[in-house]
Amino acid sequence: MLVPQLIAKLPEVKGAVVSDRAGGVIDVVRQKDGESVAAVIGFLSSTVSEAGDHLGLGALHMVSFTGPARGGVVAVAGAQLVAAFVEPPGSLASVEKLLAAAIARKEA
Amino acid sequence: MEGILQGLLDLSGVGAAIVFDATGQLVDYRGRAIYDRPLCEQVSGTLNRAVDTVRLQQEDWESITAQFADGKLLLQNLAAPGARGHVLAVIADATLNASFATVAIRVATNKLRRAIEGRPADSAVAGSAAEVPAGRQPGNGSRAAGSGSQPLPSDSAALASSGVSWSKSSAVGLSRVAVANPASAAFLSRCAKQLARHVGPIAKIYVEEAVRRVSPDAPFSLAVATQLVDELASQVEDSADRAELLKALENP
Repeated sequence: MLVPQLIAKLPEVKGAVVSDRAGGVIDVVRQKDGESVAAVIGFLSSTVSEAGDHLGLGALHMVSFTGPARGGVVAVAGAQLVAAFVEPPGSLASVEKLLAAAIARKEA
Repeated sequence: MEGILQGLLDLSGVGAAIVFDATGQLVDYRGRAIYDRPLCEQVSGTLNRAVDTVRLQQEDWESITAQFADGKLLLQNLAAPGARGHVLAVIADATLNASFATVAIRVATNKLRRAIEGRPADSAVAGSAAEVPAGRQPGNGSRAAGSGSQPLPSDSAALASSGVSWSKSSAVGLSRVAVANPASAAFLSRCAKQLARHVGPIAKIYVEEAVRRVSPDAPFSLAVATQLVDELASQVEDSADRAELLKALENP
């Protein structure tokens, strides 16, 4: 799986998980308890997609969240979800861009 | 709180600003006609589930951003880091200026925190759509109404006599669309919501333009509902989607 290996090269990325949309784990890089993380990101993307459907916002591309010390991003890559956890949270934007670009290349 | 949310709604691209509490109950909102109270109540519950899910991964979350093909959802934690409390949600289309929105949401967050400190954390109060007076919001029979929703009053003579404005302002500065009575306003909201399932947030603009075509010289009324639905259906390219829209709007 190229995308998690790519983002895991970044020192700011402390861990990455790839799952299917149902929350089944596919790949884990430097992340403890990858199976539970996969389940969480699967449910999160499903719930946010549901909200987007209600609001007429179209297909979900990415969900990111930040806190005082760290942040995370979940990107939709076809039938898969790619999550990366980032420290410090200020680096999240650059990781989002890298993820989006990597997914776009993969889907092209 | 309404003034703070209205400030967010005035940002270009913002369709609604919502505050919900830790139980997912809608506390207050301001929104364009397409985002009426029943929809905001429903979405508040869904977004609260999303927030609870993020908490599993990051208990001290401060903000959540969801990017969609046709817009964005921006959530801001109004409680102290790690604590459960109110959440601000901003719904925007693709024209949102992210830099302006970040600043505006930060300002609104500070104001909302101060406003919330003055009221119980679990209080659910009536919000208002920008277009329709409080307590007169159009209903939507297809959605499960939350505990705070207001049924459409059967006696609507006061509004019917003067004609109400369905839309106070539009995202692209179009003129107001007048309606003959509350039932007509409710139908337009329903049209916008159903059409949005197929064309996205631009649905409201399509509805406004269609109303002006089918009822150019008089407030919109249900008498021209069939023509309006036909006009809207012509905006949907996919035949299956078009049929679904026609079915959803077959009973004005």
